Amino acid sequence: MSKVTISITALFCLLNTAFVWGTDWQSSPTDSHLYFAPSYEGMPINGHFKQFSVSYQTDQQSQPSRLKVKVAIASADMGNSDINEAIRAVDWFNIANFPEAIFISEEFVTDTQGKLLAIGTLQLKGFVQPVTVPISWQSLPGGKAKMTGELLVGRNDFSIGSGEWASGEQIGLAVKIWFDVVFIASEIDL
Amino acid sequence: MPLENTAQHWGWLSKTLHWLTALLIFVQIPLGFYAESLKLSPLKMDVFVWHKSLGMLVFMLLILRLLWRIKGTIPEALESKRVQAGLARAAHGLLYGLMVLLPISGWITSSAANIPVKLFWLIPLPALVGPDDALKSLAAEVHEISVFVLLLILILHIGAALRHHLMLRDNVLRRMWF
Ligand code: HEM
Ligand code: HEM
Repeated sequence: MSKVTISITALFCLLNTAFVWGTDWQSSPTDSHLYFAPSYEGMPINGHFKQFSVSYQTDQQSQPSRLKVKVAIASADMGNSDINEAIRAVDWFNIANFPEAIFISEEFVTDTQGKLLAIGTLQLKGFVQPVTVPISWQSLPGGKAKMTGELLVGRNDFSIGSGEWASGEQIGLAVKIWFDVVFIASEIDL
Repeated sequence: MPLENTAQHWGWLSKTLHWLTALLIFVQIPLGFYAESLKLSPLKMDVFVWHKSLGMLVFMLLILRLLWRIKGTIPEALESKRVQAGLARAAHGLLYGLMVLLPISGWITSSAANIPVKLFWLIPLPALVGPDDALKSLAAEVHEISVFVLLLILILHIGAALRHHLMLRDNVLRRMWF
């Protein structure tokens, strides 16, 4: 390669990086999992959402700028068709009126242990409540990456299980949510 | 009253296990129908905890009973007619079989339905199988058929005991009582 080609290539690379705003990460549905587990008499009942999407943007310095999660509530699978049917009711998710849950965060901080926290809001069953999601990020080969995390959400904040279920005596109030999401990157250009 | 059975008499352990089980079964059958008839509610879930706890208690008593039965003597049949003695033995065998089948099919139904169980709100019952809708329906079907077979055999069993006591006026019922 001539010196000229090398310099031109170098110049292009420089220009290119200069114009990249950041990276747009989109979840790959086939490799991603979003689980939830309410408890019954203190014992977990595991379920997962079959349909959800996550988008995540990072800036030029690879710092997170936005995280958005959309969940199709009707895709909840608790391993029992009767329960899957029962949670559609008004007392539970009221799926006919609120088919989707959305989490959005544009504020990211690092806690004392060095863990990345996405501070945002969760919109669910007509309620919008502050929720913080801890995130672990791991690069994978082939321009992919994996995000994992685990948090507890109070179901009463969203009136999930209202009326005679609201006391939390049988079905606990804290619901564990955890996820491992595989992302595919695309650069955000000017 | 002696602890052990003899060729003529039931010992107190066999008697106690028989009548305790009988009492539990008579509670279990209406409790099961009642639990099933309720719409999903905290009450339904509590009634099911009772049903599952008492049902597993039947199973545990049964294990004890069979071990005791294998280890000790069994009183000879008082029934002199061969056919009747054979029928009694078959009915008792079926009752023992149902006391295994009912709790196990109930336990599988629960596990396949992905519903964890804590016996008497204290002791967690491990899941026998993972969540599985088809298996859940099958096990519930087995449970229900077992209930109807049980009811049928019990009518014969109790009828035979009463026949011996009231018509034949022999010792069959008396030697099972205290
Ligand atoms: C009012 C109800 C009941 C009465 C009057 C009754 C009466 C009797 C009597 C008199 C015997 C002794 C038979 C003999 O000595 O040859 C017997 C044995 C037996 N009963 Fe019952 N019973 C009742 C309920 C039940 C129930 C609910 C079950 C279980 C589901 C049951 C299971 C058995 C079994 C398995 C034996 C055989 C014991 C053995 O050979 O190890 N009984 N019953
Ligand atoms: C001695 C033993 C038992 C008896 C006599 C008994 C009897 C019954 C009866 C009468 C019903 C209602 C009718 C039906 O749908 O089958 C029922 C339902 C049920 N039982 Fe039991 N049961 C016993 C033990 C158990 C145990 C140990 C469990 C669980 C650990 C259990 C779990 C259930 C369940 C889940 C149902 C509802 C089935 C359905 O969804 O159709 N049972 N039982």
